[in-house]
Amino acid sequence: MADNILKFSLNRATNVEKLDHGNLLSVCHLRDTFTEAEIRMVVKMPELEIAEISGHFRHIYLDGIDNLDDSLKKVLGVRVGAGMLKIIKGLLGEAENLDQIVYMVEECCHGVILHLTKKVLLKAPDDPAGRQEFYSEMVKKSIRLYDRCAAFAKGSPLVASLEAEKRAGGRF
Amino acid sequence: MISEFNRNKIIDVALLDEKTLAVHGILNDSIYSLELDFKVNLSDLVCFEIEGRWLRYTTPECPQALNFLAQAEGFCLALGIEEKIHKTVGRTSCRHFANLLIECAYAVRETAKLIRYQEAQVHNPELTWQEFLLGESETGSNFSQKAAEDTEDASVAVSVAAPATGEPAKRLPTPATGKSGAFIIDMHMHTAPASPCASDSVEAMIAKAQRIGLHGICLTDHNYLWSAADIRSLRKKFTFPVFRANEIVTEQGDMLVYGFYDDVQGIIKLSELKKRVQAAGGFIVAAHPFRGFLTFGADDIGLTPEKARSREMFQLVDGVETLNGKVTATENGLAREVAEGLKLPATGGSDAHDSSSVGLYATAFTRPINNEVELLAALKTGDYQPIKFR
Repeated sequence: MADNILKFSLNRATNVEKLDHGNLLSVCHLRDTFTEAEIRMVVKMPELEIAEISGHFRHIYLDGIDNLDDSLKKVLGVRVGAGMLKIIKGLLGEAENLDQIVYMVEECCHGVILHLTKKVLLKAPDDPAGRQEFYSEMVKKSIRLYDRCAAFAKGSPLVASLEAEKRAGGRF
Repeated sequence: MISEFNRNKIIDVALLDEKTLAVHGILNDSIYSLELDFKVNLSDLVCFEIEGRWLRYTTPECPQALNFLAQAEGFCLALGIEEKIHKTVGRTSCRHFANLLIECAYAVRETAKLIRYQEAQVHNPELTWQEFLLGESETGSNFSQKAAEDTEDASVAVSVAAPATGEPAKRLPTPATGKSGAFIIDMHMHTAPASPCASDSVEAMIAKAQRIGLHGICLTDHNYLWSAADIRSLRKKFTFPVFRANEIVTEQGDMLVYGFYDDVQGIIKLSELKKRVQAAGGFIVAAHPFRGFLTFGADDIGLTPEKARSREMFQLVDGVETLNGKVTATENGLAREVAEGLKLPATGGSDAHDSSSVGLYATAFTRPINNEVELLAALKTGDYQPIKFR
């Protein structure tokens, strides 16, 4: 069997660019064997609220979505941030032909968050000791990072000083 | 026009042999670059032999994530596996590997469907997608049962109690106040299994609250309404004030709702919730209104209290939670500045999801509170303040 011939391939690209007045445009484009779809979203800054959204969706076996732009308008005003995923799913619904749309709206939001994260990460020092301290301070400042991935797991060198503060009776 | 951030994901699925798919995924963005390779049984969509690689990462400890990818071996990648991937790979390994694995799972499902369609076409070259899908739905070839089994331990099903009317104004034996005369209630906490994200039982939470000297607690499980009978039973068992409330998801974020006993499920518009709560005489508090992000805060994006006050949400709520145990000091500080600026009353609560966090923050009322009627009345007076309890 020709195992070098692909059965299925997927390309998903998400791009974030800055608009006038500091607002952000986030675009997620999907092209796979069955699908061609795009979601375009403008996020108002610094409120981080979804201010404009539109899109299109074509799929080989799923029905098209009538008035997709009208459906997408349900998420206008939603704040990009913690807890947004359940809100987006709840507002757009869980019909099979909306699964990808929901996912792509989330990807646009993740793109915005990662763009803002990148700006913070650019402040990390180059030297190993400095980097260690930078990330140790980051988890102290944002306790929700603690024990939420391998890098910030209990016992990791990056959380050593936080855990020491915890043992000493600190808030954490 | 400069692209400030870009993320590209490429997933390839090949047929390794008649029974096995080979999956290769790449996630390459402005911050991270990583890859996944694994195999999948076509018969049941179970994945195995998972290998990951980092090409670029951030912290010096990120490479540790590779040691935890094997936890996903044996997962059935049918629809519905996403939550389990988030909770295992995302939390113990890395959320970016989880993101890529979820993308791969989608590609695997589509590939399996394509292969079944092509096999069916061998016998019926004229078979359309619609005819094929109709046959699939009739024969149930969608692996949903296995996926459901796989996700059983990722989310706990809870049965929602029937809506109850307001609790009768029944007094507890000896309502206590602290040395300062304040009556201190943790106004925000979650219990298992009522809140799928919580890990300790209501009994464990009450026991901890009693042990640390709180005067009462308010159960605010997500879109879950405790019955008045259950609360009466808990109050009697522990001889301790336990009150009912609800944390309801709106399009503008989570809202703590007191004195409102409708069973609200799913997402509700805040304006609609406001109408219903107002009609019932209840009280809405914006929960952690500036709960932010893992690596940046309001200060990093230039969100000032003045700008924040203009959010529509603050025109619709009765109060603001300005001390929440799950957010940063900066985020609590911004909430406090907004509440002060708008002259909205402020509450405090731990937002505990396990007993270790109970009572981190609470609300100090000026007089003892015996029941939910008194709690609601006290909330409306504004005669209380959020406090750091321990």
